This record gives sequence, structure tokens and C-alpha cells, in this order.
Amino acid sequence: MSDIKERSPNQLMAFGIFGGLIGIYLTLLLPLIGDIIGGPIADIIITIAPAFGALGGICAVMWGADAVRRVAKYGLGTGVPSIGQIAMGMGIIAATFGLAIVKTYIIAGPIVALVTASVIGFIIGWFAQNVIKMKIPVMIRCMTEIAAAGAIVIIGFSSAVAGNFEFNNIMLHVYDNGVMLAVFWVGAMAILHPFNACLGPDEKQKRLLYLAGSTGAITMAVIGIAAIMTLGTSGIITFLIGVVLWFIFYKKFWDEVYLDASSVVGTGLIPKTEA
Amino acid sequence: MLAIEPSLLIEYVLLIAISGAFICAAVHFMPVGGAPAAMAQATGIGTGTVELAAGSGLVGLITASYMYANEPEASMVLVVAAGAMGSMIMLASAMFSGSLIYAFGVGVPFASAQVKKDPITGDRQDLYMSKGTQGHGIPTICFVSGIIGAALGGAGGGLIYFTLMQIYTPLIAASAAAVAGVFTMGVFYVNAVIPSYGVGGTIEGIHDPKFKRVIGKDIFTSFAISLICGIVAVLIAQGMVA
Repeated sequence: MSDIKERSPNQLMAFGIFGGLIGIYLTLLLPLIGDIIGGPIADIIITIAPAFGALGGICAVMWGADAVRRVAKYGLGTGVPSIGQIAMGMGIIAATFGLAIVKTYIIAGPIVALVTASVIGFIIGWFAQNVIKMKIPVMIRCMTEIAAAGAIVIIGFSSAVAGNFEFNNIMLHVYDNGVMLAVFWVGAMAILHPFNACLGPDEKQKRLLYLAGSTGAITMAVIGIAAIMTLGTSGIITFLIGVVLWFIFYKKFWDEVYLDASSVVGTGLIPKTEA
Repeated sequence: MLAIEPSLLIEYVLLIAISGAFICAAVHFMPVGGAPAAMAQATGIGTGTVELAAGSGLVGLITASYMYANEPEASMVLVVAAGAMGSMIMLASAMFSGSLIYAFGVGVPFASAQVKKDPITGDRQDLYMSKGTQGHGIPTICFVSGIIGAALGGAGGGLIYFTLMQIYTPLIAASAAAVAGVFTMGVFYVNAVIPSYGVGGTIEGIHDPKFKRVIGKDIFTSFAISLICGIVAVLIAQGMVA
């Protein structure tokens, strides 16, 4: 299958990190820009700002799903879901740490979280490789990437619910009311589902990435519902963008499935035969 | 300024590391059969290691936090015991209802592939094994081992929650429970997945030869990683000091 052109891991990593961070930072920057501009445009900018956090989350979901694909190809023995859950477990620890530790230097939060997640991921990968002896050559690299992607997913979707990534704000709007559980689980599903659904001998990266986009988008829609509760109008925008993106990505995934299948035929119901 | 006294700090970090090791050990006690068990082709409960550990552990977390919420002065032993109890009830009911389905729905006798005689009841196992399977159902030893595992998992979850509440409550009174709960969940998942890689997806319980082979290195790994999680948890508290 080497003739199929694939996105390289580095390309996707850059896409996930920069896309994710840009999205997350826009939730903080756009309201500031809006304050400077003033007027009716400012209201619009401020209202749409939280949606960018979720868009950043989708970038990270696509990156994370590809990292899951690379490591889970070797067969983990425990099923693909386990790696999505450990991704979110590491991500949530790193995200809480990164956002809380920076105190007043809010702007550094996501980057500190990203670095922390990478360190935790690296250590877990190292232990899995050298102590548990899983003998998966890409284990350390992929674990690092998955943890980092998990942290961005958590921060991205959390800031879409809370409005920005300031820790007290997130604590109030995401932790206290339990939305974090939805972010945790729906985010984990978004990362683990694409490979879990696509795995097999004719698995293709393009198809998987489209599916990752669609799971990320549906996460955005779910988060949008939560954001309606906390932010009102901004939540509706997040929800609507999420639904539209979901349609787009799912259609693309659907087309890919039709393209890759040798033929798609309707077989009808099983005929009733008398033995 | 330090949010916590240095002497307590080390204690908290160690407590979290120990709870991580508890959760890791718990996974090894559970009779996890994975997908083959779901088709009654392997001994154990028909789901993944992580799902079982997390399922029972999170119920333990709920009962532990319930104890803590109703009795804020509760001692550590009480909170941990509440966690263990909730977790044991959850896993026992899961195994019991699973057994009903295996016995009366699928129609298989319970037999373990790993031992010739059940160490508790002394019943012969190999006679009841269907050809081409790795045993089926949940024999007595697996059930007992599972209950022990659930107790360990629930105790681990309860212990992390209790420790984190001790750290966070003085700093962020209102949100402490939420942050502690979510952080516990994170630590829990990390510690549930690591040993499941160690056991390679399936394990029958304490009598499985795999148990002795892998538990040492898995617990070491979980302890080391939970130690880092503990340090991170304590550092978060520094960020909460206004």
C-alpha cells in the first residue's frame, strides 16, 4: 500500500499543535481585539470567539487519531479504546496542571500544559516500552503525541465551554457543573473511534482523517450544547458550526468509503425460504 | 509561599503513588476475558481490562466521595472503606448478572483454563472445558479474585480522592470536589490502562500464571507514574494560591 500518499506524522503534528494552539489562543485574543475595535463588530467577534477553541480541538483530534492509528496498528492486546482513555487521562492531568500553575500568566497555560503532557506521555511511553516491554517501536513517540493531543483537546473544548482558558473560569464553567466529564468522554471517543472503526487490512489514512474530523465536529456540537448553558449565544454558534462541519466531514468520509469499496450493492432483506 | 507544609507534601505524593499501585494491582485480580469471553470462549467477564477497572473504580470513587460529602470529618480509613465497598458491590453485581447469562443464556458450565482444580472449591475444571476454548464463565476463584480486585481498585480511587480533597479544600473550597474528582479520574485511567498493557488484555485472576509474571513490573510502573501524578497534583495546589 506504499503507493498511497499519506500525510507524514510531522505534518499532522504541526497541524495539531499549531491549529490547536491558534484556536485556543483566539478564544483569549479575539475578545481583546473586540474591545479595541468597539461597536457592533466587536459584539460579533466576542460572540464567535469561544467556537475557535473547539475548532482547535478538532485539529488536535485529527492529530491524535493519526497517532492512535500508528501505535494501535501494532496490536495493543487491549483494544483501541484503552489508548483513547489513557490519552484523556494524561491530557486531563496535564491540562489541569498547566492552566492552574501559571497563575496570572494566563497566556502561558496551554503551552505549559502541552509540555507537561508531552513529558508525562514520554515517561509512560518509556515505561511501556522498557519496563512492561511492549516491543512497539513507535510506542514512546506515539504516547508523547497522544498525551499532547489529549491535553489540547481538553483545553480546546473546555475553553469553548468556558469562553477562555483562564483556570478560575474553567473551574467555574467546566469542572463545577460536570461538563468536564462530557469533554473527557466525548473527547476520548473522538480520538479513539476513528481507528477503532477503520482498522483492518485496507485501512487508509485519508478515510481515517475524515472520520476523525467528523468525530471532532460532533464533539464540538455536543460541547456547543454545554456552552449554550454557560455562554448562551456563543454556545449556539459553536453548536451550529459543529453540526455543519460534521455534515461536511461525514460526507467526505462517506465518499471515501464508497471510493474504497469494490462495489456497494443493496441486498435487501434476507429472503424467507421454507426449508 | 508554599500552599502545603513540606512534610505533608511528601506524604500526599506518596499516598497518591500508593493509590496508583493499588489500582494497578486491582486490574490483575479482575477476571477479564475481553472479546473472547463475550462469546463465552474464555474465562472471565466479557469486556476489556480498562472498562472493568474503571467501571468498578469509578463507582468506588462515587461512594468514597459520598462518604466524604456527608461526613467531612471522616477518617481516611472510612473514606477508603466506602470506596472499596462501592466498588465491590458494583463488580459483584456485574459478575453475578454476567454469570446468570453465561449459565442460563449461553448455557456453558463455568471452567477455568489455567488451573486443573479450582483452588477454593477443589472442583475439576478441565473436564468441563469445551474444545477449542480457553474456558468459559466465571468460576468461584475468579469471582473471589474479582471481589478482592474491586476492593483494591475502589480503595485506590477513594484514597486519591481523599488525598486530593485534603490538598485542595483549604485552597478552593467550593470547587475542590470537582477538581479532585476529575483529577482522580485522570489518574485512574492512566493506572488502569498501564497494567492492562502489562497483562496483554486478558487475565483470569490471582490463580493465573500470568499474575505472578507481570504484577511486579506493572506495580513498579504504576507507582512511578503515579508518583509523577502526585507531584503534579501537589504543584497544582501551588497555582491555586492567590
